[in-house]
Amino acid sequence: MEEIQYIGEHLLPGQIGRLAILISFVTSILATVSYFLATQRRDTDEYEGWRRIARSAFVLHGISIFVVIGTIFYVMIQQYFEYYYAYSHVSEDLPFKYIASAFWEGQEGSFLLWMFWHIILGFILMRTAKEWEAPVMAVLSTIQLFISSMIQGLHIGFGDWVYKLGSNPLLLLRDTMDIPIFANADYLSLVTGTGLNPLLQNYWMTIHPPTLFLGFASTAIPFCYAIAGLWTGQHKAWLKPVLPWALFSGGILGTGILMGGAWAYEALSFGGYWAWDPVENMSLVPWLFLLAGIHTNLIAKITGHSIKSSYLFYLLTFVFIVYSTFLTRSGVLGDTSVHAFTEMGLENQLLVFLLFFVFLSIGSYLWGSRDVPVPEREEATGSKEFWMFIGSLVFLFSAALITISSSLPVYNKIVELFDPTYEGSVIKDPVEHYNKYQLWIGIFIGLFSGLSQYLRFRESNFSKHGKKFLLHLGIATVISGVLTFLASIWIDARAWQYKLLLFSGIFTVITNLDYLISFTRANLKTAASSVSHIGFGLMIVGILASGLNKKWISNNEFAQQGLIKGFSQEQYKKNVVLIKGEPLFMNGYEVTYVKDSIWENYRQFQVNYKQKDEAGNITEEFDLYPNVLYERKENKIAAVNPSTQHYWDRDIFTHIATLPLSETDKEYAKTLEDSLNYVTHYMNVGDTLRQKDYILILEEMKEGATHKDYDSQPNDLSYGARFVVYPKKINARFEVQPVMALRKTLLYTFSESIPKLGMKIKFPNEALDELFVPESELGYESFTMEKGQTVDYQDYKIRFDNFNVEAEHSAYEREPGDVVVGAEMTIFDQQGVEVGKAAPLYLIRGNQPFNFKDELFDLGLHFRFVKINPNSEEVEILIGRKSAEKRRVPIAIANDVPRSDWIVLEAILFPGINFVWTGTIMMMVGLFMGMFARRGRRE
Amino acid sequence: MKKSHLIGIAIIAIAIGLLLSLSGDVSTYSTFSQAMKSGERVKLVGQLMKDKPVEYDPAIDPNKFSFHIKDSKGVPGRVTLLTEKPQEFERSESIVLTGAMEGDVFVATEMLMKCPSKYKDEEIIIRSKSKQI
Repeated sequence: MEEIQYIGEHLLPGQIGRLAILISFVTSILATVSYFLATQRRDTDEYEGWRRIARSAFVLHGISIFVVIGTIFYVMIQQYFEYYYAYSHVSEDLPFKYIASAFWEGQEGSFLLWMFWHIILGFILMRTAKEWEAPVMAVLSTIQLFISSMIQGLHIGFGDWVYKLGSNPLLLLRDTMDIPIFANADYLSLVTGTGLNPLLQNYWMTIHPPTLFLGFASTAIPFCYAIAGLWTGQHKAWLKPVLPWALFSGGILGTGILMGGAWAYEALSFGGYWAWDPVENMSLVPWLFLLAGIHTNLIAKITGHSIKSSYLFYLLTFVFIVYSTFLTRSGVLGDTSVHAFTEMGLENQLLVFLLFFVFLSIGSYLWGSRDVPVPEREEATGSKEFWMFIGSLVFLFSAALITISSSLPVYNKIVELFDPTYEGSVIKDPVEHYNKYQLWIGIFIGLFSGLSQYLRFRESNFSKHGKKFLLHLGIATVISGVLTFLASIWIDARAWQYKLLLFSGIFTVITNLDYLISFTRANLKTAASSVSHIGFGLMIVGILASGLNKKWISNNEFAQQGLIKGFSQEQYKKNVVLIKGEPLFMNGYEVTYVKDSIWENYRQFQVNYKQKDEAGNITEEFDLYPNVLYERKENKIAAVNPSTQHYWDRDIFTHIATLPLSETDKEYAKTLEDSLNYVTHYMNVGDTLRQKDYILILEEMKEGATHKDYDSQPNDLSYGARFVVYPKKINARFEVQPVMALRKTLLYTFSESIPKLGMKIKFPNEALDELFVPESELGYESFTMEKGQTVDYQDYKIRFDNFNVEAEHSAYEREPGDVVVGAEMTIFDQQGVEVGKAAPLYLIRGNQPFNFKDELFDLGLHFRFVKINPNSEEVEILIGRKSAEKRRVPIAIANDVPRSDWIVLEAILFPGINFVWTGTIMMMVGLFMGMFARRGRRE
Repeated sequence: MKKSHLIGIAIIAIAIGLLLSLSGDVSTYSTFSQAMKSGERVKLVGQLMKDKPVEYDPAIDPNKFSFHIKDSKGVPGRVTLLTEKPQEFERSESIVLTGAMEGDVFVATEMLMKCPSKYKDEEIIIRSKSKQI
């Protein structure tokens, strides 16, 4: 086949990028091997040499990954759609601020983001890890080796068997698709990008993935230290340097997860922050393991107990990060998750990635933990460490339960392999299922973390401090009990389990607060733990308040009565129809859909909320602005964005559940418009038209009219007919102004409607000849007049009254240097009765004379002011008229029009949601405080 | 007996207890006839029947949406979903519903759709700039 010479392709960035991808893979192998050898020969002379090679390899690896990222960004910013990645993630109309989001929308981009953070962390380790550098970096390089294999796109073949290793982000579009368009050498001029999913076009998509991936990447460091500890047999020495890393990772990963929840709550229409979706769960599980690890790490550092548990928890943390990657990216979750990623054929490779680290962990643990020192003396039940350890076990349980339930699809897949007839099983009510178990986890964590704060490290003689302990504990219990009682008046916690959870949340807040004040004495390390645990308690209170008291405001009983008889699931009915301008009372709020406005493909709705006291005075009022994003060309909704009113103690969340079909489907809207029965009436200014339900008066014909859908341009000609409408049955008055506009040869008609009356009004096409009369048909006659003079024109007498230098005209915009003058004229009929006034305009701009005509629409009279004699003050006026007959404007009116001025709204009240945010943020702050406290203590 | 042994035994006991109770929350996907028989809340998986009417008129009731599906055994049935009609509903490949039979209608309160990814289908967007103007 003949090679086609394609036009306009930019091949250089691709070549550079693909080379860098390959280099990154090779250097990661080199770094792994040399760090491995450096570790193995750490006590010999070779150590320095191997470390130097390893360092260079890793730095080179880092640079090549940066180059890959740079090239991808370059082709995306330049919109080189010859590259598949640019084609499938960018489009011409994608705002620049979303380029980064588009980059990590794709699987390859998110792998690169993950590697980017590993490299940054790796560089830090090279500078700070000292004797731990070689083993730790050996493991980190191995991880990089696996991830960089995901972006290789290499075809490895043995005979007929070909395996594709990874997916290369810098492939050309024509190499990934086989379609006829590539027979055209100039195919690029026909191709444009598909762009970023509109749902992802918001700032959360810019900040959430980098944070979460830094969280993912940071869990690798405790893992690397754990392997390093097992490998080198220094079971105690690693406990200290790993701790700040683990705390940092806990804080960042937690923040990433938290941002995901906040995104779901703020910007998506899920109506909540956590849904126990498998993807969410599997990001939480590693975090729970990490928290367990941090606790056992602290114990191990102080007492020498729990070293094995610390190894285990840190190993599990990273293994579960990889497991979660496998679940979300392999497509195995299928229809059980709303976050389902598309399959990319990387399943096997991801499985190898997972299995390698599972076996590495098991192997290292079994091999390395044989000689872990175990102290002779057992931990006393009255010591802090004992209860911290029990707390870690609670974390383990929590993580294990979530993992087992979330992994059900994996279990189904495995059984299906052996038994194809096997029908997969599912959890019936996931939210209820998870809540049921995690409730107890919450209770235990709350109680233990409250209780153990009063205990002391390494306590052997409990009775010595028993009195003080019991005193504080007793007071805290009483205060918590009272507060729980008060809170349960506010929170609808009927079941005793909820009351217990509420108590344990409040209990840990009180005890930790007490501990913070009475015992910490400005010690950052201990304060950090108090802050975290107070945060946990507040979060529990918030979860209970917002979860149990979550209430649908949009639940209008009157509107829904008796629609489904005898059905007990009324609470699932969450939406109401709101008609524009008609307030609806629902659950204490008067809600009104005020108006909507469209800006390009973005449509915003204003929804007003009012609360009134018994006297009818407004006690509270606010507006919310939920919006929808239409797809670029089609008139389809691509994304719905909620809007939320925040108070310190509650949130009111609102989003558009549905719009009328005519507003979301252009085809349907057109069919609907065609089915309307328009009747044409001929009217002049001042005429009245009687219809079945209303009376219509044509008040005025306006030149240069405006309309909400009409963007006027300088040389447009336009007319609007201003009507006043009086309904017969109700006491109201409406004004409508349909518009017809002429832009060169294009004619636009803008209709108006009164949904309440079911009427729609517009200019029919035949109005064109009547509105825009060509100048040639007017038969202008010239009159030279002086001030006060009257002339006869057809049936009228026309008097030139005066000059006006401040005259205005709808088509005239004043510029500096203009010399402008208007001629004020009065028109009388034969009986001498005044019938109108006109003011044509004469203008000199840059030595050129211009004039703007004036038209008396109802009489059909046109005036032009064409000349002025400055000496005699005489003017020349042209007067024209199309015909002597009375003017009649055609107007088309349709009645019985289906209403389309409504929205379907979902409104939810979330009480106490700020406790959730404050609590979770405090947990992260506590972790970071712990990290900083320990970072400074490193020798 | 050492304390660590006691803790170990307790953990194993709790774990077994939890695993046993876990199985109570799990079920297989149901079919119309099974849902009819049990009368309980179940999960039903099926495919949308595109030739049957899809009814949704928010002006009457925004929380009532009716359509027909074929269950996993291929048996057709009518479904009423008590929420709004979701975007892209017609594109769905398979549907998972949670609800119970009410007469001969499956009344569902939750639905999860599996749609083909928007960017997966290998079609190319051709610039639609009109050359006439």
